[in-house]
Amino acid sequence: MRLGGFAANAVIAGAILWSLVTTDVELSRLVSAGPRIADFLGRMFPPDPTVMREIVKGSAETLRIAILGSVGAVVLSVPLGILASETMVAPALFRPVRTLLAFVRAIPLILVAMLMVGAVGLGPLPGIIAIAFHATGMLAKFYAEAIDGVSRAPIAALESAGAGPLARLRHAIWPQMAPVVARDTIFRFELNLRESLILGIVGAGGIGFYIQTYVRSFQYDKAASVTIAVVVMVIAIEAVNVALRRRFA
Amino acid sequence: MSAAARIDDLSFAHPGAALPALERVSLSIPSGESVALLGPSGAGKTTLLALLDGRLQGWRGRVSVLGTAFYPDRAPPRPCRPDTGFVFQEFALVERSTVLRNVLNGRLGRMPPLRALSGQASAHDMTVVRAALADCGIADLAERRVDSLSGGQRQRVAIARCLAQEPRLILADEPVSNLDPARAGEILSLLTGAARMRGATALFSSHQPDLARRFAQRIIGMRNGRIVFDVPTSELDEDATADLYRDAGPMSGIGLRAVR
Repeated sequence: MRLGGFAANAVIAGAILWSLVTTDVELSRLVSAGPRIADFLGRMFPPDPTVMREIVKGSAETLRIAILGSVGAVVLSVPLGILASETMVAPALFRPVRTLLAFVRAIPLILVAMLMVGAVGLGPLPGIIAIAFHATGMLAKFYAEAIDGVSRAPIAALESAGAGPLARLRHAIWPQMAPVVARDTIFRFELNLRESLILGIVGAGGIGFYIQTYVRSFQYDKAASVTIAVVVMVIAIEAVNVALRRRFA
Repeated sequence: MSAAARIDDLSFAHPGAALPALERVSLSIPSGESVALLGPSGAGKTTLLALLDGRLQGWRGRVSVLGTAFYPDRAPPRPCRPDTGFVFQEFALVERSTVLRNVLNGRLGRMPPLRALSGQASAHDMTVVRAALADCGIADLAERRVDSLSGGQRQRVAIARCLAQEPRLILADEPVSNLDPARAGEILSLLTGAARMRGATALFSSHQPDLARRFAQRIIGMRNGRIVFDVPTSELDEDATADLYRDAGPMSGIGLRAVR
């Protein structure tokens, strides 16, 4: 046991050392960057309030991407969650579906968004598709776990009373899993909204587009205004999410 | 009188178990009778009841319930499932649903598939459910959520759900194991009374010989997966009952002292 602990510590220390030694980390550059950082910050303040229209427009688009992407993910996740649940289907079906979901989760969102921008062009549509696709990998897994986590006894009771599989899903499984599904869906919506904020950087719509535009054109005061809006939005979403999750606890 | 359940030379072992849960069991239960299954834990009572409910496969022998022959390789056809009602030991209720919804769940097997899915009850369904709630003394709890009820109230909901099925055979797995003696008497009186009123057959398992005597016309004693005795209640031999629980531990025959 002690040997195992020592080995684990040695591996961790080795990984840190390897990263430090082989990565080109020159702390002196960080010191010399001080004036430049001060210059950026100086140019950011005061934030330019004239971009309020762009902020409102970008925030609304980000919100729409998150909402539509989340709806798409829920629509895809309901059937896939059922098919990934060992309570509902045979191992021959749920195992390949789980593998498929793991594969979907493994593809980074930004990569999906870039591919979608290439496929369908700039704007919110590639963002919505990317969010729906990426979130399904996690949400369908959560839904399957919610189905499998319910008490089996009421399901057996309804089966004994002659209820069919869909009636059992509706009246024995759903009432038990509903709070978990609501909590997980709200959590996923929060993640979707956070992720939508940066999708604009690759041209997939939303407020991120303005951040990218203002930074690239050295309009740091405008970028600062957009960044403040993003921070406010994230804090607001988190507060709403915490309140809702407490309700479903 | 026709048989509500008939079993011939039945044996069954749970997957992976070294010993059989039931061994060469034969019995016939006439329609309308109230029968108690008595025996210590591990005697095979729950297995026998689950098998009669059509929930177990892989057995050997012959089984027929309410005139339908069971086959060891498949569950009985769904249309005949509602005719057999089951009261589960741990109630098996949907905790977050209301009492009314739980009792309505007992009607699902009698509804057309689409109505079962939507849960929309017909006027007849509601009449049956209201009667079951009233018979179990829980009509005033209909809108309460199950997770806000006491153990005794939950037990009544479980019985009401079973009665809402309009079963011709009622199977109950230790329906009073978690209740004090006064409550246990009440619940068994309710169960056997409701079965009698509906002309249904009742088969319940119990650890309590005194309650079995009070509420059953016939008592079947089981031990180690076999039937040890099968007698009318009036002929129950106290020594045979005591033998049933011999070496079975102090908690296996609650109320045994009352018979001795």
